[in-house]
Amino acid sequence: MTPVIELAQLTKSYGKSRGIIEVNLTVEPGEIFGFLGPNGAGKTTTIRTMLDLIRPTSGTARVFGIESSRDPVAIHKRVGYIPGEFALYDRLTGRQTLEYFANLRGGVDKAWQQALIDRFELDAKKRFKEYSKGNKQKVGVIAALQHRPELLVLDEPTSGLDPLVQQTFFETIKEAVRDGATVFLSSHILSEVEKTCGRVAIIREGRITKMDTVGGLRDLAHHQVELRFSGPVPSAEFAAIEGVSDIVSEDHTLKMRVAGPITPVVRAAAQYELIDFVSREPSLEETFLAQYGREAAGAASDGR
Amino acid sequence: MAASSAPRPAGTIAPVPFRARLYGFGSIYGKTLRDSRLSIIIAAGLLGGMAMLMGAALPQVFPTPQARLEVDKLIAALPANMVNLFGKPVGLGTLGGYMTWKYGAIFVMGTTLWSIMALAGTLAAEARRGSLDIVATTPMGKARIALEKLLAHITAITIVAVVLAVASSAGSQIFGDADLGDTIPLLGGFGFALWIWAIALFFSSFAFLLSPVLGKGGAAGVTSLLMVTLWLANGLQGMDALAAISPFRWTQDHIPLVGQYDWAPVLLTIGIGIVFRLAGILLFVRRDLGVTAGLEMPKLPSIALGVRGPTARAFADMAPRAIAWGLGLALMGAMVSSLNATMVEQLKSDPKLLSTFQAIFPDFDLGSSGGWLQLYVQLLSIAFGFAATTFVSKWTSDETDDRLETVLATPLPRWRWVVSGGIAALVSALVTTAFFALGLVGGASGMDATQPVLGTSVLFLYSAAVVGVGFAIGGLFGTSKAPEIAALLVVATYLLDLVGAPLALPEWLRGLALTTHLGEPMVGTWDAGGMLLCAAIAVGGVALGAFGMRRRDVAR
Repeated sequence: MTPVIELAQLTKSYGKSRGIIEVNLTVEPGEIFGFLGPNGAGKTTTIRTMLDLIRPTSGTARVFGIESSRDPVAIHKRVGYIPGEFALYDRLTGRQTLEYFANLRGGVDKAWQQALIDRFELDAKKRFKEYSKGNKQKVGVIAALQHRPELLVLDEPTSGLDPLVQQTFFETIKEAVRDGATVFLSSHILSEVEKTCGRVAIIREGRITKMDTVGGLRDLAHHQVELRFSGPVPSAEFAAIEGVSDIVSEDHTLKMRVAGPITPVVRAAAQYELIDFVSREPSLEETFLAQYGREAAGAASDGR
Repeated sequence: MAASSAPRPAGTIAPVPFRARLYGFGSIYGKTLRDSRLSIIIAAGLLGGMAMLMGAALPQVFPTPQARLEVDKLIAALPANMVNLFGKPVGLGTLGGYMTWKYGAIFVMGTTLWSIMALAGTLAAEARRGSLDIVATTPMGKARIALEKLLAHITAITIVAVVLAVASSAGSQIFGDADLGDTIPLLGGFGFALWIWAIALFFSSFAFLLSPVLGKGGAAGVTSLLMVTLWLANGLQGMDALAAISPFRWTQDHIPLVGQYDWAPVLLTIGIGIVFRLAGILLFVRRDLGVTAGLEMPKLPSIALGVRGPTARAFADMAPRAIAWGLGLALMGAMVSSLNATMVEQLKSDPKLLSTFQAIFPDFDLGSSGGWLQLYVQLLSIAFGFAATTFVSKWTSDETDDRLETVLATPLPRWRWVVSGGIAALVSALVTTAFFALGLVGGASGMDATQPVLGTSVLFLYSAAVVGVGFAIGGLFGTSKAPEIAALLVVATYLLDLVGAPLALPEWLRGLALTTHLGEPMVGTWDAGGMLLCAAIAVGGVALGAFGMRRRDVAR
């Protein structure tokens, strides 16, 4: 089956400044694909190249098997897009804005449009300029969903939406996927990617650094293990185990990071009187931060 | 995961470096001035350049004492309504008097309009885009923010005024004939510049006062309308009640370019301007940040807002500008056509006077009604050119305001977006021209309106050509500078047209002004080649823009 998105050696440079470098990825039909990266990593550049809003310096971007710069209109017919930052027409009301974008697509199912308006509780009678940031975002979301696109390209789609609306949004996205749509979700809000996506690519400084399932990426991370004993235990014994690092000993408790299988640690602990054992599975966020190191920590927290 | 430990801050605060201050990043005042640097350069260059050009042109047009005497007699021939409209005609036979009367209104209205736009938007536009919230949460009060912004504006208009003052005086001393009274002392130059400065301060302060309540558009619109109304009230008969509150009337005896000074009304104008500014600061401090009442337009039905497609949408966005330009030009058209018959009659009865007028406007047959209308076609071409640049600007706002990305993510091809915008801009230019034509017809009682109405078609073609240039630049190279480049073309065309004959510029140079290829349709002389050229530039420009848009990146 033809991948919905296929980026091959996709490169975009802006003169002296970096854009994206040799990005390769494929998104299969029916996937919810997460695209993670800190600010300025190249997420939006990748999306804009994919949709032919900017032209690649080299490499190709194919969507539905169509090279994006060859026939962008054929792609756009089947895509719903929420840009990371957008403005619409100040003088138009929400409904008029949706009507306009529906007309640009040759019309939409009005009942579905109304259902989306109701579901997102949008007051469609207000002018766009009168909306709050979150309500403007709702208009963008509905405009992207109202024609039941085969591919949803979402660049930071929940920006400005309150948690309840975010929940509604992700329910709607999952519904769309059940109906056969594919989703490309760019975000730096890790929890939403973790909850929603099947596979994730991480981009850093214009290059894809990791691509795997959410579970697979988690496995890359260290486990945080905490062992509480009834008496003193020599930490050196644990430090000698392969994959163990950062041991901290406090009273009769040992805290450590364990990479790879945890069995050797369990075996070593069993030689002593163990009162408690805690091994915490890392979240994707911890994986992400581990991947980026300390410098990315600030960038990731920006998206919270 | 181990926490990183950044080096602890030293705890001392470094002073703002001199370089940062110099580049305008040291204060709100500096930043505001920095943001205005291009417009300051353009305004100073235009006003100073025009003053120098006047100095160079007049002695060539009226080189003898006899010719100057005839110019002085012009006043007797003018209908009363026109006398004060263009400033009190004193010493028309000297460079200073001629310059004040013929161009004083252009100098003062142009500078004031620029100031109104600047001050209506200085806080309101920043509030709208959200940056004011960030500025206002720095450790400085709202009053100080407003004060620094206002001081930056005062600095800007002072720079422009100083350039004008020096250029007026220098131009007269370099090119003028001292024996004929052309020399303008530096004090005269400064007096003239101060008058313009005062009027600009008065109206821009009023715009600033309104802006926290009405927002940028509302404040600029109301104040501009007030300025034009008070200017007309000073010139037209029967509007004495309004004229009493017009700074144009208060300062009518201050004609410093001929050595006639009346400082008190100028100071009064400045004083009232300062009061407006202080009231504006107070209002800004007391009101919620960025919350404006605005001038609410009634909500329009979808069809009027053009939601059916890209051409209708683009036209709906441009229509308010087309109608605003159209209404202003219709008023102007009505006024000039209503005065036309009187002017022609008076000139016909005095051949000497007619020859004097002909010397001022050598390219026009001022003994005929059509000749006068043709003169107005030339004088108003700049307004049609600027109207076209505002249509280009509205089209470019799709991209500069970040809408285009969403629009082009629909199945709308890029070329279609350009062509739709182009069609909308051309229709807007047509609407503006139609209003002007209606104004001409409405004002001309008893005059056959067929010729004037047909004649306005060249103004449409000229603005269409400007649209074409703007669209070509926008499509090929990006929309961010397209309106400015189109506006520069309009200004260059106008200046070439204005001084080409008096300065006896070479034919080829004068020929670069598109307006020289429009014929004289008001007297029945059509230049089919020039008209075709304009049409070709219009259509070709939009087509080039569409071609260019297919190839380039969409900006963010």
